[in-house]
Amino acid sequence: MSRTRRMLGLVGQHSVLIGLAIIFALPFFFMLLQSVTPLEEAKTTALWPSTFDLGNYTEVFDRVPLARYIRNTLLVCVLVVTGTVVSCVPVAYAFSHMRWRGRGVVFVLVLSTMMLPFQVLFVSQYEIFSNLGWLNTILPLVVPSFFANAFSIFLLRQFFLTLPTETIDAARADGAGEFQILTRIVVPMAKPGIMAVAIFQFLFAWSDFFGPNIYLSDESNLTLAVGLVRLNTAAARLGESNLTMAASVIFVMPLVVIFFFAQKIFIEGVTLTGTKG
Amino acid sequence: MTETAARPAAPDGADDAVVGPRSSSVPVVPPERLRAKRRADRKRRLTVLLLLSPWIIGFLVFTLYPILNSFYWSFTVKRYGSPARWVGLANYELLFTNDDLLTALGNTAYLAVFGMPVRIGIALLAAALLVRARRGNGVYRTMFYVPSIVPAVASGALFFFLLKEGGPLSSLFGVFGAEAPLWFRDPQWAKPALIMVTTWALGDLMLILLAGLVDIPRSLYEAAELDGAGRWARFRHVTLPMISPVIFFIVLTGLIGVLQSFDQAYVFSQGVREGRLTGEPGGSLLTYAMLQLRLFQDGRIGFASAMAWVMFLITFVITMVMLATRRRWVHTATEEWA
Repeated sequence: MSRTRRMLGLVGQHSVLIGLAIIFALPFFFMLLQSVTPLEEAKTTALWPSTFDLGNYTEVFDRVPLARYIRNTLLVCVLVVTGTVVSCVPVAYAFSHMRWRGRGVVFVLVLSTMMLPFQVLFVSQYEIFSNLGWLNTILPLVVPSFFANAFSIFLLRQFFLTLPTETIDAARADGAGEFQILTRIVVPMAKPGIMAVAIFQFLFAWSDFFGPNIYLSDESNLTLAVGLVRLNTAAARLGESNLTMAASVIFVMPLVVIFFFAQKIFIEGVTLTGTKG
Repeated sequence: MTETAARPAAPDGADDAVVGPRSSSVPVVPPERLRAKRRADRKRRLTVLLLLSPWIIGFLVFTLYPILNSFYWSFTVKRYGSPARWVGLANYELLFTNDDLLTALGNTAYLAVFGMPVRIGIALLAAALLVRARRGNGVYRTMFYVPSIVPAVASGALFFFLLKEGGPLSSLFGVFGAEAPLWFRDPQWAKPALIMVTTWALGDLMLILLAGLVDIPRSLYEAAELDGAGRWARFRHVTLPMISPVIFFIVLTGLIGVLQSFDQAYVFSQGVREGRLTGEPGGSLLTYAMLQLRLFQDGRIGFASAMAWVMFLITFVITMVMLATRRRWVHTATEEWA
């Protein structure tokens, strides 16, 4: 009796899981399908295309400067990741393996900046970058990342705190300076943590729309996120959702690939901080 | 606060106990050693300052200055390239008589009141099923999680396609004989469409809830089962109380997030009508953040600053009220045991 009930429970549980999984996968399925649907059929309500037209993927490169968008986005991502790691690692080290008066208070101050809505900041930041003549360049998107952000500091600090203090204390007793300890001991040991921060920043920079949307205007300077929104707006009028979906696949695919290679890092990072930035 | 914390030289060595690396046991030291120690301490403070310098500079230039600046601007009429003119509280008064602002606030509240329970509910259901399923756990988890790494503008474009007239989801409605709503033409349905996208991206929530569920001791369930508690009773009296701190965290960060929600609503309404950020259809997608961006793009900087500050104030009040009433929402037995 109880065995059959348990079996029934298991079946019920897996049917709900499978049902949910299908619902969650369905949008991806339709995205891929539409991205290979020929234009004449993209305009109709037909669910299944008569042929798979991979030409959409080349067509979209002709329609918008997609190669430029990809290049710009990659450049922003690489610079943001570099800036974040270079600036946040030392800060996180000072908050984890050095003791100094006021450390707790300053750390709370760092965390409290995470609470600030971006809306309070960008209105005035825009004027700064405008005065510097940086509008319509990637500099406003990149330069701030060289000055540390609270989320990455927090994540790195959490990883640094898990490192064995004995090794660090021993190095200190041997007369090693703090910078030596940081570069020779902490950084090599904390590579997974640094990877997590790098991946999350890459993800953030790749996906960000708000910043690029207000700072970039020339077609040739756009990132993928802004380019995609403009393409979507134009394509909506012309009924060319197949092109939008092809561009979306190109936009989303790198992130999915990164996720599959770094699943563990993602899951640990998200559960540790409650978000990925 | 930064300066006191990282001040290079303290007045005397009185804070050694806190600052020094291992000075809990300081015996009587000869004066020359004391001098050397003081020198070392000064060097340590300089080191800390140097390590912190990226954040300190960033904080002053990209956070503190913009905050103070926008606070000042919120009391002025300001356009870029021309000096600000003081108008006192006029911007704030104007805000609360502005129809668009009430629309935006209403839409944002709708997303919080209807969107968050749906999102959290489904995430909790998925997490609760996953934590019990041994077989295929990893595959399910991946399938629920992957949508949340899709950039918001991409998921916006995707659902714009799925839900448009003749789009796949609308066609599916037809298969079941129901008439599909005109999601992006009908103000009644645009916000549910928005909730649908954000629900699709609930992976982060599910992972956090899953981590919380894994931490619940099995013994509690076994004890409840011995007491004859059924599945629902166990969920209601064991799972929910034990997971309540996690839900509290999700609700708090979720409310703050909703207040800033922008990307998908922007994509939807631009897809319907290009141009000014009016939150088509019929203003039903005009979020608070979208209206603020519109004021910024219209060059009404003082007004946009006031809106940003009201947003900050709402965030602050929500946080404070929730933290103050935490005990009413969160089961605290675990903390008492600890």
